[in-house]
Amino acid sequence: MSDQVRSDARLSSVSRDVRDQIADLQADYIAALDSQDMKGWLASFDENNSSYFCRSKENEDDGLEVGYMFDDCHERICDRVKFVDEIWAGTFEEYQTRHFLQPTRCKSLGEDLYSAQTNFTVMYTDDAGITKVLASGCYDDEIVVNGVARLRSRKAVLDTNVVPRYMVYPI
Amino acid sequence: MNAHSDLVTSLEWPANLNEIPKAVFDDPDLYKMELEKIFYGPEWQVVAHRGEVPEKGDFKRFYIGEMPVLVIHGEDGQVRVFHNACSHRGALVETKNRGSQLEFECPYHRWLFSSTGEMIGCPNSNQFSPGFKKENFGLREIRTDEYCGLVFATLSDDTPDLKEWMGERMLDPLARILGGDGRLRLLGYQKVNYACNWKAYVDNDGYHAPLLHPAFKLLNWQGGRGSQTPTENGHIVFEADLTMPDRVDLLDDPSLIDFKGTDTSNGSLVISTFPITVLTKHLDMLNVRFAFPRDNDHTEVHYAYFRHEDDDEEMARHRLRQASNLLGPSGMISLEDAAIFTRIHHGNISPGNAIFQKGVSDPRQLNFTPAQNDETGNLPRWEYYRKLMGFRRAQS
Repeated sequence: MSDQVRSDARLSSVSRDVRDQIADLQADYIAALDSQDMKGWLASFDENNSSYFCRSKENEDDGLEVGYMFDDCHERICDRVKFVDEIWAGTFEEYQTRHFLQPTRCKSLGEDLYSAQTNFTVMYTDDAGITKVLASGCYDDEIVVNGVARLRSRKAVLDTNVVPRYMVYPI
Repeated sequence: MNAHSDLVTSLEWPANLNEIPKAVFDDPDLYKMELEKIFYGPEWQVVAHRGEVPEKGDFKRFYIGEMPVLVIHGEDGQVRVFHNACSHRGALVETKNRGSQLEFECPYHRWLFSSTGEMIGCPNSNQFSPGFKKENFGLREIRTDEYCGLVFATLSDDTPDLKEWMGERMLDPLARILGGDGRLRLLGYQKVNYACNWKAYVDNDGYHAPLLHPAFKLLNWQGGRGSQTPTENGHIVFEADLTMPDRVDLLDDPSLIDFKGTDTSNGSLVISTFPITVLTKHLDMLNVRFAFPRDNDHTEVHYAYFRHEDDDEEMARHRLRQASNLLGPSGMISLEDAAIFTRIHHGNISPGNAIFQKGVSDPRQLNFTPAQNDETGNLPRWEYYRKLMGFRRAQS
């Protein structure tokens, strides 16, 4: 992802109201994931049209589209909730995640659509109580903001090209 | 090359062929022996596929055991494997995982190598030791061979010819996993470092699939139909007949499990080559799991997914969409495997033996024709391992 150190993408280039709505969305998103609430995660996405991808930066930089998660339509995002809540239930050991976010870029794409980049670090704690880094990277988002903010598309690009464990939950 | 583990002399391997001593998973000295005798010994190691390095100058960094290697598609069209170590002082020549370039320079003293491994230049060579000749200081090449574009390497001169090592039984199914003719292109990777010993990673069996994986039940893949063929030198070929359900009500996007392929069978193929590589064709996914041990307690797996060169855009897209969500460390039908690897690794730090049951009719005999959903198919590999490592078997 090319860094866009341009004044038109600084956070202050969008209104405080829009920034507040996006901040609420990001907080709701990580609060849902960190409480293993997949339906809450689903509610962060625009139900008319949305996508979610999670892939390594190595693939992204090489133009290789394979990801750990490849939900290119809203139906697949709904299916991911079923993977976790129904299909995999009882087959994996729970782990606790903590997401830490830092917004870096935001700009208007016209009408009520905005692009945003947000750095993340995700820690995980296993049953034994040991905490380690699960992944570090950047969200590349398109967000619809019209009274409430929803994700039109989220691409979680992981600097962590080799993840340290299986991943049940999205990033 | 003289690693030694006291376990090899102190442990008496059980007389029953279906009993595996758990101590072999938790001994760092034994692990060093395994590196020497297996990973650096007379076995072929899977290091790359041509589809990852399709053009001249394309390269890939990988490992044989813990040794860093560099796979380069040379300007003469040949794919070679080198030690990723400068012929001078041994620094890594390349640190990028993949790339494309016709020259490789070690930054330490600017020694420069061609894509075919020859030394091109080294500054101040008029002041080098007497008799120094550039032609003697190319990158150190490793013996390689290819099958359907799959690149094998071995550090031993004693390794048998590749096809002899694979065995007749493997040739056809391996070609089918590799698209029939090996003309593949890389779609991308999922990379993961599992916290388990490499032997726990490869010990997945035919018994577990419909039991561990709820998605298999969902898809009506209950196992049992098909075949499992272990070889005396540690490989296993699985062929499973699968019937796709007419409709899958659970998924909002059932295209995830569509079968569009031109292969005559919609069944699954899984090949496990000794010691550590697994290759699969499930539905339309062509998947090579390049793997190597990081240490006794960690196994790194690079799930590489491919399309065929002749795929149209729709087929290539379908393979991509299927691969990302069905397999790997977050895959709908495989996540549970990843969970089990670590669980087995920790549980194996306990006394006694792991005792295989499903399909065992005579504990004193190996069965080379187990049922598709038996776990006895892993036992010839364990017996091969025992002999390689020199463990003494109890008489009774």
